[in-house]
Amino acid sequence: MIASARSWVDIYLTEMRIAIQQQLQYRVANYFYMIGMIAEPVIYLVVWTTVAEQQGGAVGGLDSGELAAYYIVWTLVRNMNIVFTPFGWENRIREGTFSGELLRPMHPIHYDLGYFAGWKVVVILLWLPLAAVLSLLFHPTATITPLGVVTFAIAIWGAYLIRSLNQSSLGMVTFWTTRVGPVFDIYFTAELLLSGRLVPMSLMPDWVQQIAWLLPFQWTFGFPIEALVGGLSPEQLLGGLAMQALWIAIGAVVLRRMFSIAVRRYSAVGG
Amino acid sequence: MTTSSGVAPAVHVAGLRKTFEVPVRDAGLRAAAKSVVRRETREVAAVDGVSFDVPAGEVVGFLGPNGAGKTTTLKMLSGLLYPTSGEALVLGHVPSKRESAFLRRITMVMGNRNQLQWDLPALDSYELIRAIYRLPRDEFRRTRDELIELLDLGPLVTKPVRQLSLGERMKAETCGALLHRPAVLFLDEPTIGLDVTAQKRIRSFVAEYNARTGATVLLTSHYMADVQALCKRVIVIHHGRILYDGALAALGERFAATKTIEVTLGDGQAGGGRPDLSGYGEVIGYDPDEGRTRLRVPRADAPRVTTRLLQDLPIADLTIEDPPIEDVIEQVFTSEAPSDPSSEEPADARSRAPAG
Amino acid sequence: MRAISLFLTFLRVGALNELQYRANLAIQLLESGISVFTGLVVLALVFSQVPALNGWSQPELLAVLGVYTLVGGVIGMLIQPNMERLITDVRQGTLDYILTKPDDSQVLVSVREIRIWRVVDVILGFVIIGVALVQLQGTLGPLDAVAFVVALLLGSAMVYCFWLLLTTAAFWIVRMDEIVELFMGLYASGRWPVTIYPDWLRFGLTFLVPVAFAVTIPAEALTGRLTPELLAGAAAFALALLLVTRWFWRVGLRRYAGASA
Repeated sequence: MIASARSWVDIYLTEMRIAIQQQLQYRVANYFYMIGMIAEPVIYLVVWTTVAEQQGGAVGGLDSGELAAYYIVWTLVRNMNIVFTPFGWENRIREGTFSGELLRPMHPIHYDLGYFAGWKVVVILLWLPLAAVLSLLFHPTATITPLGVVTFAIAIWGAYLIRSLNQSSLGMVTFWTTRVGPVFDIYFTAELLLSGRLVPMSLMPDWVQQIAWLLPFQWTFGFPIEALVGGLSPEQLLGGLAMQALWIAIGAVVLRRMFSIAVRRYSAVGG
Repeated sequence: MTTSSGVAPAVHVAGLRKTFEVPVRDAGLRAAAKSVVRRETREVAAVDGVSFDVPAGEVVGFLGPNGAGKTTTLKMLSGLLYPTSGEALVLGHVPSKRESAFLRRITMVMGNRNQLQWDLPALDSYELIRAIYRLPRDEFRRTRDELIELLDLGPLVTKPVRQLSLGERMKAETCGALLHRPAVLFLDEPTIGLDVTAQKRIRSFVAEYNARTGATVLLTSHYMADVQALCKRVIVIHHGRILYDGALAALGERFAATKTIEVTLGDGQAGGGRPDLSGYGEVIGYDPDEGRTRLRVPRADAPRVTTRLLQDLPIADLTIEDPPIEDVIEQVFTSEAPSDPSSEEPADARSRAPAG
Repeated sequence: MRAISLFLTFLRVGALNELQYRANLAIQLLESGISVFTGLVVLALVFSQVPALNGWSQPELLAVLGVYTLVGGVIGMLIQPNMERLITDVRQGTLDYILTKPDDSQVLVSVREIRIWRVVDVILGFVIIGVALVQLQGTLGPLDAVAFVVALLLGSAMVYCFWLLLTTAAFWIVRMDEIVELFMGLYASGRWPVTIYPDWLRFGLTFLVPVAFAVTIPAEALTGRLTPELLAGAAAFALALLLVTRWFWRVGLRRYAGASA
């Protein structure tokens, strides 16, 4: 039992070390990527700050300082949300590397999880100076509690895990059809609107907020942000973590099932 | 290792079959429209009832043209493909269950397999393989260093993989594929695309690895030299069926319909230009420097022709040989059996089945 | 004029090629539809709070969205595919094939690829602009229309220059895949008139990344905000950018030839 746990730790640490080495070689490219990504929240932030100011200081209960805090933390959460994509699965199948992965005595999801977790370490390091610059430019304000910080630290990894599992399940679709683009597009749009990525959920109409509560998206995006800077109560923080745990469990079960069906199909038609 | 009774073979295959559904569609718009509504498919057998045993420690070569079913067989044995029917056992495991204990004891080397990280030295990727296969560190280090030495990898493992040549990369891949000291090796075209030196290196390595570890090796190759250097036993597959299973040396005896006679004429004739020996057999080559002519004659006629040659001409040298093994193989595949039912399938249907 | 005939040849071949894949049209319709839908959702959210954003009314911002979609279509159809191919070619060393051709290399790398179905965005952009103009109930004079078209052309030329400048950097930096990400991220700022951004950002979006020229200025032409001076300024800047890009491309090529020799 202990030996098995230790070898899992060994696998993950080795994968993370490899990812860190590799991604540090690409720090320039990684920075380009992050700067490109930062444009998005800055745009949202500017628009909503303008709206807030025109309305006498606040929109959806958030003033410009709070909006700034939301969208600056947004940049880190967005990066934590980047995982091995369904398009990656499409490549694996098309280029035949999936066969090689099936020959290993390990589920490929562990490889993806470990590798991207290592990448996240690089991303967080690169993010810190960006966050500092954004803070100087946009003057965020927030009340940060110790419990909020702890919840945030857990929740960004919970978000990472949920999104990895869901994206991999979605990637399984590529075992059946090569035209997966439209399916992914619809999924990503739903996610954009219902996760808190486009706007804080408090800006959405009530009925949208109610739908979003039932879906996994906002637990991977809006919740971690608000855990740190949204002034959530301890009940809300723990409740959010519980929702994350629930979605991790659902994601794991769904992926397990989808993967075994997908492999059976793959092994029937040939790789 | 011995093959005496009571020792289970490393690989046991009985009546193994794999069929693929391929769409059938006639040319033309109407047929295309029809196929949207109801896709007609037909079954094509890539592997059609194959049986053989391989005792532990043996090196067996699979021969056959593209699409013969070689790769499909190896994929079924390594657990990548579910057989349609029949039985396969590797080291006592059913491959298609893909048990972890099974995967830890085999390896498959494919020309396009790429398990090394492109931007990092191979050594780092080896560490990952160590972790994935849960190899004890000191044992891993010993194996790794031994393989690096055997493959003559030396300083290459500390360079980023992207800086290696194809041959160097293949060596590094091979090393990575064997770090867990598998007991059964499936090598699918292990030397494809490599230059002659690199091919030789891989070849002698496989032989050495087999000798040192007693591992069982099943390999397919386009290069006859691979098979000749490594395999005493060959299995010839064509249209998914076994045509021949036995010693490589006996393959010529069994299939060669002809023999090659090389004749060098004595001094009196050598200066007189190219002699016309077409009356004795089919002239397939002439070397003017040595004054040597090569003749192809039907196997049964060889003794009679030889006698006539010796009687008629001033022979300085004469040898009788089986034709080169490539030629024999080619002959087997081109002349083989219209009686074989699966060969009546249109070539097109076969080519759509995954490469075998 | 050789450039134009080359462009037309590649255009024809590319179009014929893609016409075989009609299913891609459906996919493009869906993608474009989703993108416009998202844009409309954001507009609706904003205007559920305020009657006008920084002096731009709802139909005016709709016109901005239209121009954004239209120019985005042009980029996706003509500019982006060529630049992506160029990055790949530089990395894989296959650019040599282009350099051995007897035509101008910059022209060749700029007209080789076309994604014909992105024309959906161009059409959709025009439709949105049309709807916006009807809602505005204003009259678009012929002079405004001409100014709009000129501003569009200038803006597209500047986007092309900007992108080629970045891509040429691929001669020095090996991995440039993220450049697409970077550009599309910055281009998204064009969904809004650059006047809403803080000064430093507006400067960046005007002179560093020509989003202002590509989207805002044409949109200003449509909404009667564009002055002749601004248009002339845009023309001068476009010309300067074209010259700089030409020069930088040559420097990059020299570097490529030096590295591969």
